[in-house]
Amino acid sequence: MITQRAANIAFNILVIVAAVFFALEAETFQTSGLLASTGLPSKFFPQLMLAFIGLCSVIVIGAYVFRGFAGTDKGASVFEDGGAARRGLLVLAVAVACYLVWSLWSFIPMLILIGPACALAMGVRSPWMYVSLLVMSGIVYLVFTQLLNVQLT
Amino acid sequence: MFAGFDVVAQSIGQLAEPITLALLVGGIVLGLIIGVLPGLGPPIAIALALPFTFHLEPIAAIILLLGIYSAAIYGGSISAIAVGIPGTGAAIATVQDGNKMFKAGKGGEALGLSLTGSIIGGLFSVICLAFIAPILATVAIKFGPREFLAISVFGLVVVVRVAGESLSKGLLVGALGIFLTTWGLDELNGTERYTFGSYHLYEGIPLVPFLVGVFAVSEVLIGAERALQKLDFDQTSLTVKLPGWGKLMKMKDVLFRSSALGTVIGIIPGEGAAVAAFFAYSEAKRRSKTPEKFGTGHDEGIVAPETANNATVGGALVPTLTLGVPGSPAAAVLLGAFLIHGLAPGPKLFAERPDMMYAIFIGLFIINILMMVIGLMAIRFAAKLIQVPTTFIVPTVLLLSFVGIFSVSHSFFNVGVLLGAGILGYVVRKLGYSIAPLSIGFVLGPILENSLRQSLVIADGSVGEFFNTPIGLGIYAALALTIFGGPLAGWVKNKMFQRAEDA
Repeated sequence: MITQRAANIAFNILVIVAAVFFALEAETFQTSGLLASTGLPSKFFPQLMLAFIGLCSVIVIGAYVFRGFAGTDKGASVFEDGGAARRGLLVLAVAVACYLVWSLWSFIPMLILIGPACALAMGVRSPWMYVSLLVMSGIVYLVFTQLLNVQLT
Repeated sequence: MFAGFDVVAQSIGQLAEPITLALLVGGIVLGLIIGVLPGLGPPIAIALALPFTFHLEPIAAIILLLGIYSAAIYGGSISAIAVGIPGTGAAIATVQDGNKMFKAGKGGEALGLSLTGSIIGGLFSVICLAFIAPILATVAIKFGPREFLAISVFGLVVVVRVAGESLSKGLLVGALGIFLTTWGLDELNGTERYTFGSYHLYEGIPLVPFLVGVFAVSEVLIGAERALQKLDFDQTSLTVKLPGWGKLMKMKDVLFRSSALGTVIGIIPGEGAAVAAFFAYSEAKRRSKTPEKFGTGHDEGIVAPETANNATVGGALVPTLTLGVPGSPAAAVLLGAFLIHGLAPGPKLFAERPDMMYAIFIGLFIINILMMVIGLMAIRFAAKLIQVPTTFIVPTVLLLSFVGIFSVSHSFFNVGVLLGAGILGYVVRKLGYSIAPLSIGFVLGPILENSLRQSLVIADGSVGEFFNTPIGLGIYAALALTIFGGPLAGWVKNKMFQRAEDA
């Protein structure tokens, strides 16, 4: 399993890269007209925060590289076991897929898909659970469309 | 700053409307249910209900959410006592004695103690809220950018300090939350920042989808990992037995102290119910004549944390309502509710909507009284909900989050923000970061930026002028005391101990 140490180092390197990107992006901010000369430039605060984020990331990386841990996660893994990782990541994939289905097609296919797909991702075997989830989806649909008059398309 | 009896009468009139009363009861029931379910705490409960309030009048909406907030904190103790798994972070301290008592066949007594403690703590904090908030609002109306900057820094640093074991990790996610609020048009001069050509981002990353994503969607993904674990417990010990008058009198010191501690900790921006519960528990143990009984199923071990955690509700609303600075993650989501109803919490709200303020005070009082009645009736049913499989909860919460956010804005962009924030919340939680600084940073970001920039302009390069604010300096001093007070006291104690040994 992936360790907290490796995952945190990789994550913080990504954070530093992203911070540099956003800091450079902030250089392109343009204030037009008279407002440009008033107060501090718009890039000041985002760049201040990004510098701070970068500094914290360097400290976190330092902690993991030299000590091997930060806080109390010495020798800990990101996921409990392979099964937990599979379930969590598959449900994440289902959530993204459902969003895409809804935005590319329409609400109803997403509504039918979300419950059973999540159950499948979590390794549910009981057919009753799949039926219950479809019923739940139907109830949510009725509550929002009939009771709250929300147009779900 | 008493607005007059006519305003109070008007507030009572609004609360007495059948729909508001029904929502008040519904809020308590919903909060109890969500609080019982392990993992789903008050911020998630409020976040999930938020979209439903969009179609309601502001007072009815806020009362519904306050009912959910109070009941969800209490609900967490039911699963803590029955199965030893806290429904909310606020109930972690209750597990030790509550579950031991339950296993000893005294579950009814444990549930009665937690209910009574929660009600007393809740009522105490509401009374404090009603007295402190108007006074603080009168003072806060004179606050300028430097004072608001000091309060924001205080709130953020405190939440970072208590939220996780690694300070640098807490600061990192707190700063990340603040940075994300810089997206969109600059409020001070209209400059486009990180809009990437999308008009959706002109108003920045929307608050409500972000908070719902960070709390609810990330919790769903974490929950999916342990979806196949089954919970079982002895259901014969679920009839609530309220403590008698004599027992309550014996514990009056613990009740009062825990109520006061919970309220004060709630008022400190950023501190939450879990901190208050732990603090009250350790304080009750420290002052007890029988500290060895704590952790073995002791009455005071349940009453102290449960009284304190519910006392944070009123306390957390003090900075939220008077300064617009949330006292806890749940209060941050509640702040979002005010905003979607066109209300900006802060000192001006007291002058502009006194009816709303009194409705909140009186409504919270009624909520705590009704919680006793509903708690007694529903505890047995609510406890059975612990057995609802996570495999059912995960898709339900996910669907409700999607549909709820869409129903507020009719925008796929906001659903995308929800999902993005959920993924961000999931990743940072998996890597051992707390989401409390992320969410509080996201709420405090605009206040922090505007007040910092305005303070720097006022100071005009002078450090002395930047800190020329007695209130601000007092807040910075309090912050220094909270950070360095403990280690300093320990150092002084050690030195004195060494001197005494040398002598």
